[in-house]
Amino acid sequence: MVDVERLAAEPAVLAMVVLAIGLVIGLLVGRLNRRLLRAAGIPGIVEGTPFERTAQSLGTSTVDIVARLSSWLIYGVAIVTSFHVARLVSGETFWLRVTGFIPQLFVAAFVLILGFVVADKAELIVGERMRNVKLPETGFIPKVAKYSILYIAFLVALSQVGVSTTALLILLAAYLFGGVFVAGIAFRPLLQAGASGIYVLLREPYGIGDEIRVGERRGIVQEVDLFTTSIEDEDTEYVVPNHRVLDEGVARMR
Amino acid sequence: MDALQGAFDDLFVDVDAVLLFSPSAAFFERFADREVPTVVVARENEYDADLFVDLPLSFEDVKQRVQFGVQGAVANGHVEASETLLCATAAFGDDVDALFRVRANVSEDNGVYDLFANSRADAAVIRDVLEVVIELGKKGQKGEPVGALFVVGDAGKVMNKSRPLSYNPFEKSHVHVGDPIVNVMLKEFSRLDGAFVISDSGKIVSAYRYLEPSAEGVDIPKGLGTRHMAAGAITRDTNATSIVLSESDGLVRAFKGGELVLEVDPEAY
Repeated sequence: MVDVERLAAEPAVLAMVVLAIGLVIGLLVGRLNRRLLRAAGIPGIVEGTPFERTAQSLGTSTVDIVARLSSWLIYGVAIVTSFHVARLVSGETFWLRVTGFIPQLFVAAFVLILGFVVADKAELIVGERMRNVKLPETGFIPKVAKYSILYIAFLVALSQVGVSTTALLILLAAYLFGGVFVAGIAFRPLLQAGASGIYVLLREPYGIGDEIRVGERRGIVQEVDLFTTSIEDEDTEYVVPNHRVLDEGVARMR
Repeated sequence: MDALQGAFDDLFVDVDAVLLFSPSAAFFERFADREVPTVVVARENEYDADLFVDLPLSFEDVKQRVQFGVQGAVANGHVEASETLLCATAAFGDDVDALFRVRANVSEDNGVYDLFANSRADAAVIRDVLEVVIELGKKGQKGEPVGALFVVGDAGKVMNKSRPLSYNPFEKSHVHVGDPIVNVMLKEFSRLDGAFVISDSGKIVSAYRYLEPSAEGVDIPKGLGTRHMAAGAITRDTNATSIVLSESDGLVRAFKGGELVLEVDPEAY
């Protein structure tokens, strides 16, 4: 009887007990998480995303990875705590920093995984929505959605582990500045025509074969694309930039 | 052997230019430092030949292929009219195995080159449509032979000279011939009555169109049906080109300016 009490007071034994409890809790939390994620229908949601496909090809799945991540978090905390209890390494501040850092690392990893899955899913959903818009020129929009979400996830993950992200933010700002100004000034007519062209192509206020008048120009529509509308009369083919169509309005001849 | 060579010497006398049809690299190299101008006629200008004619279809009929090459060479100014040309092409195998000695003669122009190069629509669009139609002719719709009529180019005028038979399945869709899914789509829609209208840049404007050109003075071979008559007539009234797949004899024909300019058998492709 005395032996048990004495043993319990021994730091090494206490550390082993803490470690064992930590391992069991970690395993249980992992299992529970897996169940919870399954019940929440996560496998159905992430299905078809490239991240899930990569996970599948490695013989695992997104749910498994997340569940395992939570177990490892607890294992890590248990190991660190048992080290602490066993007084293997001394120094309170060191342990405080380590125990503070581990959860951050795991949150960062979790944010990254979430970012990948959400980005892939966003690409799929936006692509699905865009399918109604039968314009081949809009193919890049889902990609933009995907990469902006990935970018934000990376920023969050990096700031979570304490890496300075100011440089990345400045880079983004520089790109935005450059993009807005260069594109805004140099491609202004094209952008104007393109923006109006999207309306014209989607709503088709006039189609090929209609006789229309835009400003002074009157004739039969021969071709409509993103930037221009070709109108042809007896001897001339006018190529009208699409923003002129919106600026001046269209008169449809009967 | 010498006697045999002597017998064919006539072939090579006073040749002004050589036309190579889809030559292999080694074969093309042999002509690199000869004095006679060498014109390459092929799908792509792989060897960066100075004189090149784009062959949009690999014509199965050798005579058509040679005619196309000669017309293309004359139209591009690579050779002068009435010059004597030696054409090397593959008639049976994949390698060059036949030689033709022809005279570039403009008056014999049967318009096959014209069909691709000087149509309102892009040459690539006409080629894409021809390929779709040839494939349709080969396979048909579920094994049954189908007929189809495509009017390519000058879509505005064509739309004005036709009327819808029913709702247009291509309304507000922006698909182009040559897009990967379009072949299947066109095959499905080919069971609809009426014509397909395709714009200069290859956009499918409409299906289900009933063409209403005036057929006066259209001269097409006797025995062809109303589909061919409509196809020929619409090209006389507009600057369009029409490509027809005959339901009865399975041939693909192209019309331009109210005349039959090309006739190919899909089975031979």
